[in-house]
Amino acid sequence: MTIYSFYIFDRHCECIYIKQWHERERAGAAIRPTTSASTTSPIPDKRVSAGGKQITETDISMRNGRLSVQDDAKLIFGVVFSLRNMVRKLSTPDDNFISYRTNNYKLHYYETPTNLKFVMITDVKTNNLRVVLHQIYVNLYVEYVIARNLYVLMLNNYIAVEHSGGEGVACELFELGLESFVVRTLKLIELTT
Amino acid sequence: MILSLLILNKAGGLVYHRDFSNTFTKLSSNDYLVLAGTFHGVHAITARLSPFGPSSGGTPSSGLEVMESEHFRMQCFQTLTGTKFLLFTEPQQPNVDVILRRIYELYADYVMKNPFYQIEMPIRCEAFDRHLMAYIKPKQ
Repeated sequence: MTIYSFYIFDRHCECIYIKQWHERERAGAAIRPTTSASTTSPIPDKRVSAGGKQITETDISMRNGRLSVQDDAKLIFGVVFSLRNMVRKLSTPDDNFISYRTNNYKLHYYETPTNLKFVMITDVKTNNLRVVLHQIYVNLYVEYVIARNLYVLMLNNYIAVEHSGGEGVACELFELGLESFVVRTLKLIELTT
Repeated sequence: MILSLLILNKAGGLVYHRDFSNTFTKLSSNDYLVLAGTFHGVHAITARLSPFGPSSGGTPSSGLEVMESEHFRMQCFQTLTGTKFLLFTEPQQPNVDVILRRIYELYADYVMKNPFYQIEMPIRCEAFDRHLMAYIKPKQ
């Protein structure tokens, strides 16, 4: 099995984390989903051309006829949001959308009770990854992102911290944890199948 | 168990809807139209979201084919002309592919060959209803 990409969306419908594995020229790079690419970003940003001039969004959109990573994330959110509502309307309100498959990829979905949405895109042969997404939430997101931001929460007089623009999600521990977790899970799944 | 069948024309309009069991909550016909339209859009987007670019060769990306939820499974079959057949079944229903093909055959025989049927319009063909029920009933 192959994992192509992983996304987290918060309850304000905003994409707070993107990671892509086997994809395009940004392979292996985690992208902080800011719309205005900041020059202070620790990730080497390929969107800044040699002259320091910003490449406009339309240039990126038209690259190889593909959408930019950010635009893809928006489309993915639209799809999972619509499907989730469709499922709940047709069936009972406690039903949950789990996954869908096309002829060349499969999308897995997990939503926490706080409306945080985890999405993973893999090849079609992969079995259900809902448990894996749940583990990412419990073992990595809660441990590294939420616990780490408790300090910020304290400074904020305990008004819940939101991750606008993905601030605070792409921290090193979470990054490393996710990477090793995914590698381990892949090995485990390959051994058991 | 087969729960429901929806047929969408190539513009995303709902042309046929039939429930085979009462597992699903009954919605108003307007809601079903909205649902069909939404699905049509989602289907188009899912085809674009493929991790392989259009230039990378291989088979061109289809849209959504199978969707799973906790309580049901939906299989979508798109004909070459863009008509979509959505079949809602229980998650453990076998051979949904075959059932969909057969429904498509019934559609070709009793809807498309009906001289009074206007293309892209809602399907009101008694023979189609009858044969569809006769095919689905023994499977329940």
